[in-house]
Amino acid sequence: MGNSVINAALPGRAVQSVSAPVRALAETLVGRDGPHARAFDNVILALIVISVLSVVLQATADLPGWAIQVLKITEFVVVAVFTFEYVLRIVAAPHKLEFVFSFYGLVDLVSIAPFYLARLDVRYLRILRLLRLLRVLKLQRRILETTVAERTRELAERNLALVQAQSQLKAELDIARALQIAILPSTFPAKPGCDGAARMIPATSMGGDFYDFIELPDGQVGMVMADVSGKGVPAAFFMAVSRTNLRELAIHHPDPGDCLTRTNEVLCSQNPMDLFVTVFYCIFDPATGVLRYSNGGHNPPFVRRAGGALEVLNEARGLVLGAMPGIDYSNHTVQLRHGDRLVLYTDGVTEAFNPAEEAFGMERLVGEISAHGGGSAADLVERICASVANFAGDAPQSDDITLTVLAWYAA
Amino acid sequence: MSVLVRLESVGPITVVVAEGRLDFGACAAFQSQIEKALAAAGKPPAGVLIDCSWLDYVSSGGLRLFLVSARAARRASLEFALCALKPAVAEVFELSGFSRMIPVHPDRTAALAHMP
Repeated sequence: MGNSVINAALPGRAVQSVSAPVRALAETLVGRDGPHARAFDNVILALIVISVLSVVLQATADLPGWAIQVLKITEFVVVAVFTFEYVLRIVAAPHKLEFVFSFYGLVDLVSIAPFYLARLDVRYLRILRLLRLLRVLKLQRRILETTVAERTRELAERNLALVQAQSQLKAELDIARALQIAILPSTFPAKPGCDGAARMIPATSMGGDFYDFIELPDGQVGMVMADVSGKGVPAAFFMAVSRTNLRELAIHHPDPGDCLTRTNEVLCSQNPMDLFVTVFYCIFDPATGVLRYSNGGHNPPFVRRAGGALEVLNEARGLVLGAMPGIDYSNHTVQLRHGDRLVLYTDGVTEAFNPAEEAFGMERLVGEISAHGGGSAADLVERICASVANFAGDAPQSDDITLTVLAWYAA
Repeated sequence: MSVLVRLESVGPITVVVAEGRLDFGACAAFQSQIEKALAAAGKPPAGVLIDCSWLDYVSSGGLRLFLVSARAARRASLEFALCALKPAVAEVFELSGFSRMIPVHPDRTAALAHMP
């Protein structure tokens, strides 16, 4: 039995042979919190006050004989109860020696010791009586315990409220995220010779990537690849505002640079948070293979020629949108030929990190496009996504990963 | 925290030395340091120079802080410039067009020579 080993180290034999009822009583009165413990605590509190008053009375007033008699009885009762409490606390303490030599253990001892010592040696009676004033220190335990209990309860309540608020917030964010993804087109418009595919893998927190395919009145197709700075709800809102404005303007202004210039003006006037968005916008003519594009601070896309050569659409580079009004975005044109592929992406692809904090990087992306660009658009998108996922492994995805591929076959 | 920031004073110019990776998690801390630097800069004409010698990475959210800071500096009539960009960071500034909006200098000496 573990208990007997501990008990062997106890001061006094009486405690060693404590029987079960006494142990239970100690648990109830001084061990755990409960109505009995609180009642006992109040008795002790009352006795502390009475005993301190009686010490003061004895020291100051010229008392009649009956009063001195009453005070003596009081002192006797106080010491009896305090002794009883002291023994109970030793019994209830899990580490008894530790308790005896703890601050409160010593306070309890000092509260009763003068009474017994005064029986042995009367020479120091006055000092010993004054020592009883130290019983005031017993109050501190109660104050401390009450404070701790209150704080614990308050903390528990606040924690619960926080947990509830957080789970609600998370549920709402999940809905917002789902809505954000739902507004992205799931298929490329049906156009002769066009094979388009897109994929957006959202980050764990709310990001601001988006792509768009816009059917223009003259049979051309507008393609957008964009990335809003920052994360969370502000980024998501700015993404929605950017997409809606760009889409609206694109339908009426069949010129990529003009569209970005106008979108930038709108975004600059509706941008209280100093957010911005990088946008690559191009208009593709499926009849001729002509691609006109403009770039507002976005990663330059790739054109993979049917023969395997890779070109970077590095021209027409301007500032991100939403940062500064009054900027003109220029256009550039590239001719797609039979079997060529256009690859648009966001930096979530090249800046996907693995557990060793290495980035996926441009070389790996170029490698994937070179190696697998011959297949369908959907196949290339899936291969790049799989390669990124394989590279990142268990590392958390900190940014949205977005890709669009267009393969074009001349009629 | 993935970015460490140290403030130094060179005359009326407060130099913010940024070290590490300015990703989403580091933005809030970085922003408060920049605000401190803007507040600490001497009376105009004075300025804030961000020394990026030890800055390895800037995310798009981090880029936004440079935009916010440049705007705050302009409102306070303070010069605002960057210097000593590592290739990866310089590329981000080049791609986004920020290097055409915020003065970027090759090193601290060159930057201080251009600032009041």
